[in-house]
Amino acid sequence: MTWHSFFDMSTMENRHLLAAYATVLVIQVGYLARVAWQWHHTKNPRR
Amino acid sequence: MPNRPIRDKIKPMEQRAPTLRKVAWLWFAISVAVLVVGFRQAIFLVPTDAAQGDVGRIFYYHVPIAMWSLLFPYLNFAASLAYLYWRKRNPLRALSADAFALASAEVAVVYTSITLITGSIWGRAAWGIWWAWDARLTSLLLLWLLYVSYLMLRRFSSTGQTQTLAAVLSVFAAVDVPIVYMSIRWWRTQHPAPVFFGGPDAGMDPSMLPAFFWNIAGWGLWGIFILLFRFALERRRQIADQEAALQAIEASLEIPR
Amino acid sequence: MKPFLQYTGHVLNHLRKDLRLEWRSRDAINGMLFFALLVVVVFGLAFDPAGYPTTTRQISGGILWVALLFASITALNQSWARELRNQVLEAQRMAPSPASALFLGKAIANMSFVLVVEAVLAPIFIVFFNLHALGDIWLLAVILPLGTWALVVNGTFFAALGLRARNRELLLPLLLLPISLPALLAMVQATTGVLTGDLDPIQINTWIKQLIGYDIIFTTICILFFETILNAE
Repeated sequence: MTWHSFFDMSTMENRHLLAAYATVLVIQVGYLARVAWQWHHTKNPRR
Repeated sequence: MPNRPIRDKIKPMEQRAPTLRKVAWLWFAISVAVLVVGFRQAIFLVPTDAAQGDVGRIFYYHVPIAMWSLLFPYLNFAASLAYLYWRKRNPLRALSADAFALASAEVAVVYTSITLITGSIWGRAAWGIWWAWDARLTSLLLLWLLYVSYLMLRRFSSTGQTQTLAAVLSVFAAVDVPIVYMSIRWWRTQHPAPVFFGGPDAGMDPSMLPAFFWNIAGWGLWGIFILLFRFALERRRQIADQEAALQAIEASLEIPR
Repeated sequence: MKPFLQYTGHVLNHLRKDLRLEWRSRDAINGMLFFALLVVVVFGLAFDPAGYPTTTRQISGGILWVALLFASITALNQSWARELRNQVLEAQRMAPSPASALFLGKAIANMSFVLVVEAVLAPIFIVFFNLHALGDIWLLAVILPLGTWALVVNGTFFAALGLRARNRELLLPLLLLPISLPALLAMVQATTGVLTGDLDPIQINTWIKQLIGYDIIFTTICILFFETILNAE
């Protein structure tokens, strides 16, 4: 595959491939972002 | 010279924190690097599957994440048992165990959710159906339900009780997991149904192995990173709560001059 | 031997108390009966038993257990409520009898209420769904109690778990259903197997054995952990 064919949205199969990888990215990064946000909004008890 | 116990040799957190921070960033960087390599392998280097076409590349994300998703429930179980053991004997250590239990349950739900969703997307594209009530998928769905119910209990129970109740529920869930697996497998032996991802021994061609292993490593490293990050966050919150409680007590004890 | 008899005595005392309290108001049983009846009627309207007799027989096991499940949840939710009034729960904690005896007594009491509901419901169910079992009907006398115990033992435990939670009534089904799913699978498959006559006796026996295993395992765990959750603070 190439970058070009990876982002090709014309076939259903390819859209699903893209959707699957996007799902993984969104959920993992989303969870990381949430934890990081909460980390920065919790007082550091040792300071 | 008498041997000091290990406890005395470990530096307090104030001294360890900067090193831990560096290690965390390093681990994060390595995980992302491995995942990038894994992505490159899965999308660009592995030859297109003859039977499924490019959709089959979902395999390289779906399967490693599915495999890792089976680890975190065990970690939750172990941490819950540790909590129950130390609850009366060493409350501070028990608190740590509880933080780990919560973190591992959340990561378990994250990984299982991804497995279910990507599996469904893949199934629709490759086999035409969004879902099949086969042994593997149904067991995974039930696993997801069990750990979501754990998180719900943590949210709904009254503070003070949450940790003990959640730990007990975790024991129930952990005992239930093998029972779920066996009963659903028996059910599907009796009533065979279409199976996603063709049977348990769908072989892997050697050309698939590099991408597979890179992604297993990557998602494992990432999973450990995110688990420990969430654990650290929970510990931070617990300590902040303790300090707030301590301040409240001290304020109530102040004797006016 | 003596501790065992003492323990059984405690369990019976708790059981008697719950039965007597229930007998005086009969809230739970009436509520459950009516609820289960309504669920059966709703399903009857949804699935048209007369028009599709074969399909009806295949789904009737599932419908029966879903009706019983929802009915039990309504009763289980308020089975601990009487312990909250007048600080009865604190008194129970201080009582010398082991906490698990309290649990067992209440679980057995709940079990008897649900069994009464089943006994009344079964003929109605047969009438509404025009059922005649094609398999060994006496097996149902084994399957129904085993399945009911699986729901009641975990249900009583989780109802106690959620006692001081906010949204207590919502929490019980959220916790009970995921844990009970393997048992539900077994009881529905076994019941349907008996009603449709589709399954061999060996297969039905395997489901029954799974139910027995599930009951034993979870009864043990509930007894072991009840004291922990009663004194969770």
